[in-house]
Amino acid sequence: MKEFLKAIFLVDLFQGLAVTFRNQKPSLVCTEQYPKERPAIAERYRGAPRLNVHPDTDQTLCIACNLCALACPEQLIVVGAERNKETRRKELTTFIYDTSRCMFCGLCEDACPVDALELTQDFELASYTREGAIWDRQMLEEGPLPTEYKH
Amino acid sequence: MEEILNSPYLHPVIATLLIVAVFPLVAGYIVLAERKVLADIQVRLGPMRVGPYGFLQPLADAVKLLLKEDIIPTAADKWIFWGAPVLSTFTALTAFAVMPFSDKFYVADVNIGILFILAMSSLGVLGLILGGWSSNSKYSLLGALRSAAQLVSYEVPLGFTIVTALMITETLSMQGIVQSQFDKGIWIAFSNYGLMLVPAMVFLIAAFAETNRAPFDLPEAESEIVAGFHTEYSGFRFALYFLAEYASIFVICGIAITVFFGGWLRPFPNIAFLELPLNVAFPMLLLLAIGGGCALGATRVSLAYEKAIMGVLALTMFLVAAMFAVPMLNELIIGFFWFLFKVLTLIYVFIWVRGTFPRFRYDQLMQVGWKYLIPISMGALVVNGIVLLFTS
Amino acid sequence: MATQSTFLDTNELVLNMGPQHPSTHGVLRVILRLDGEKVLGTECVIGYLHRGVEKIAENRTYQQFAPYVDRMDYVAAVSNGLGYCMAVEALGGVEIPERAQCVRVILTELNRIASHLLWLGTHALDIGAMTPVFYCFREREEVLKIFEKYCGARLTTHSFRIGGLQYETYDTFEKDCHTFCDWFEKKVDEYEELLTTNRIWVGRTKGVGILNAEACKAYGVTGPVLRAAGVEWDLRKAQPYCGYEKYDFDIPTCQNGDTYDRYIVRMQEFRQSVRIIRQAVDSLPEGPIKGKVSKVYKPPIGEAYVSIEAPKGELGYYVVSDGSTQPYRLRVRPPSLVNLQALDEMCRGALVADVVAIIGTIDIVLGEVDR
Repeated sequence: MKEFLKAIFLVDLFQGLAVTFRNQKPSLVCTEQYPKERPAIAERYRGAPRLNVHPDTDQTLCIACNLCALACPEQLIVVGAERNKETRRKELTTFIYDTSRCMFCGLCEDACPVDALELTQDFELASYTREGAIWDRQMLEEGPLPTEYKH
Repeated sequence: MEEILNSPYLHPVIATLLIVAVFPLVAGYIVLAERKVLADIQVRLGPMRVGPYGFLQPLADAVKLLLKEDIIPTAADKWIFWGAPVLSTFTALTAFAVMPFSDKFYVADVNIGILFILAMSSLGVLGLILGGWSSNSKYSLLGALRSAAQLVSYEVPLGFTIVTALMITETLSMQGIVQSQFDKGIWIAFSNYGLMLVPAMVFLIAAFAETNRAPFDLPEAESEIVAGFHTEYSGFRFALYFLAEYASIFVICGIAITVFFGGWLRPFPNIAFLELPLNVAFPMLLLLAIGGGCALGATRVSLAYEKAIMGVLALTMFLVAAMFAVPMLNELIIGFFWFLFKVLTLIYVFIWVRGTFPRFRYDQLMQVGWKYLIPISMGALVVNGIVLLFTS
Repeated sequence: MATQSTFLDTNELVLNMGPQHPSTHGVLRVILRLDGEKVLGTECVIGYLHRGVEKIAENRTYQQFAPYVDRMDYVAAVSNGLGYCMAVEALGGVEIPERAQCVRVILTELNRIASHLLWLGTHALDIGAMTPVFYCFREREEVLKIFEKYCGARLTTHSFRIGGLQYETYDTFEKDCHTFCDWFEKKVDEYEELLTTNRIWVGRTKGVGILNAEACKAYGVTGPVLRAAGVEWDLRKAQPYCGYEKYDFDIPTCQNGDTYDRYIVRMQEFRQSVRIIRQAVDSLPEGPIKGKVSKVYKPPIGEAYVSIEAPKGELGYYVVSDGSTQPYRLRVRPPSLVNLQALDEMCRGALVADVVAIIGTIDIVLGEVDR
């Protein structure tokens, strides 16, 4: 009997209408108006790669051990090094990282023993050309500098 | 010059011109309202970029549709392809001729007003069929025929419920219907000991089906295979179909309000002591609240022209609110205010329902129409008739 | 697929629901044979998303291949990672510490919730209800935030490594999980209020796409489709792995095996997953997060097959090692591909508008079907 009355008076339909009505509160809106509002990125986010430099001496932290290139599944890192005659240590000359084929898996970051290669929180990596996506050492140290959005 | 001013045609012609000029803008803003309300229901924001809070979006949409390339399929029947959206728009807009916006503002008060509107909406089905047929595509035709079958089968309960209401009003003229509700002092939906609520509900459900809106929008939305009658239309022709659809939504809501919910009358139209709070205080407070909201919005937007638009809106709202305080002006505009308020509330319900319910499958749709709505509306007609007979 | 008549059937219409289609959940091509409105038979054409993942595996080391696995079932990437790591660990006989197992369970169950949320949103959208998709994605956003804070990526997480975990849990991990569970249970109630008793929803899903228990077993269908047909089979209870035997949860089943029952089963699975997450977070043990695994991972010659209960069914990994650092052969048993076989049987006799609902209810992801 109760079921019959519920069916006649369309109770289930009004229940659904109540749910959608409740959700109309403006405080429940969860849209971020990008690019005016920036998303909050987690600390561990695997975004654009960066070659870190020592904050005081401005020297690169990379020791050219080539472990990141060996760890990469897509083999898109090329580390160029030359041996310094005096200190008998390898020094970094060129570092090429192809972001167009990178899947941001983080294996290179995990492999680096000195925290020189790091995947940062930058996610705006777009470029107008394919060659622009292949980053050299300078781009890796500076980071991508996307044009600021003007309204 | 005096001949023109004294001519009996002056008032209707001006009213017609006003409606035809203003209505496309109104339809555009109903589309914007639908997008914003749907967005609210779906916890998102809707259009926000064009103008403050997306307020100028209809203008952008209109410009876009007008500038689009006019594609006509080579195998299509050119004249009918051109004529079908025109027919749909024509029948939808003609129904405005008898719509009682208020006791002072209407185009014509025909003594068979309701019959005229029902005839116009039946003719609108032809525009649909011609549109699907002239596209010369198997699937467009199928979609158009399904849509036409749906419209025709839901016109039956629509007719039955209106006849039930006409038993009480004893007149077919639209202004007469509203007048009879004023004389009886109660809206038709709540009269006859509440028994008229059943026809009112059936009318509302049939109204969703008549305008091809959710949950009865299978022919136009389920485009997995059957593409619907307006696939081949683009640019301005599509805009005409769009206009026709929103005009018919406005018309159906207008009929519902006029026949069942009091037209341009306020709630409890005969009770005198409610005149001041309902006819003066309520509109003023509502418009002041909207104006206040616009002013608040003006403080929140960042660009100068956006602030200007919101400011102008706020001032307009305050001005109109002030108009309700003057008794002479109040009398002129209060009918129109109540009509618009009720129609917009019903349109909000249409949008709310669209955002909530899934779609009926085509066979279930026809089942609801034939097996449920027609018997219920016939039964309501008989029961209401019997009760009226014994109580009058 | 036997034809319905002996002579040339002129009433039969062949219709193509092409690879690009809003309702086929990816690039699936379905060729329908129709008699008016009724479906006589279907044929699926797949392969539009084939990327040769299994062949790629033969040229990568075990650690290097782990990111590729996420891209198969891209909706629920954590399960893929779990299955792969478990298969490779079984091959090499690696012991996983308790803490790693517990965190793995938490992330996998969160991932199950995320996958079912996407399923619910898209399924409701196919049937015409346009709001649940936004509510579901709002909830999914919270799960993806937890993933992002934990491992740095939202969708292709690469969260597990061979031997355990790479990352320690972040500071507010337990608090985030508890907050999510409390908030999410109310949302499930909201979905039920919106859809479960709604007469339009029931009318569109009850009796549609019935697949009974014998047919399920004959096709090898697993997951919620099997449980909706009445068979109480869940790999987490039947062949417990990763510490699932420690947690107390039920296996929801239904009787009829139609679309409505699959909906009910997945809604119940939401609640059971929340139960498991709560228990796992409360009992998170201390300890190391990675077992003893050498940097250059060379498992002995042999083979291993490990299957887990992914959100879509039984996800199996068959790895063959020839003693080197790269697998000799890696074969994935995708649940979506096996479940998709049953589409033909489920669509027989249904109307055209139901085909879309049935494809949605099997819950397929083309990345998994095609690999």
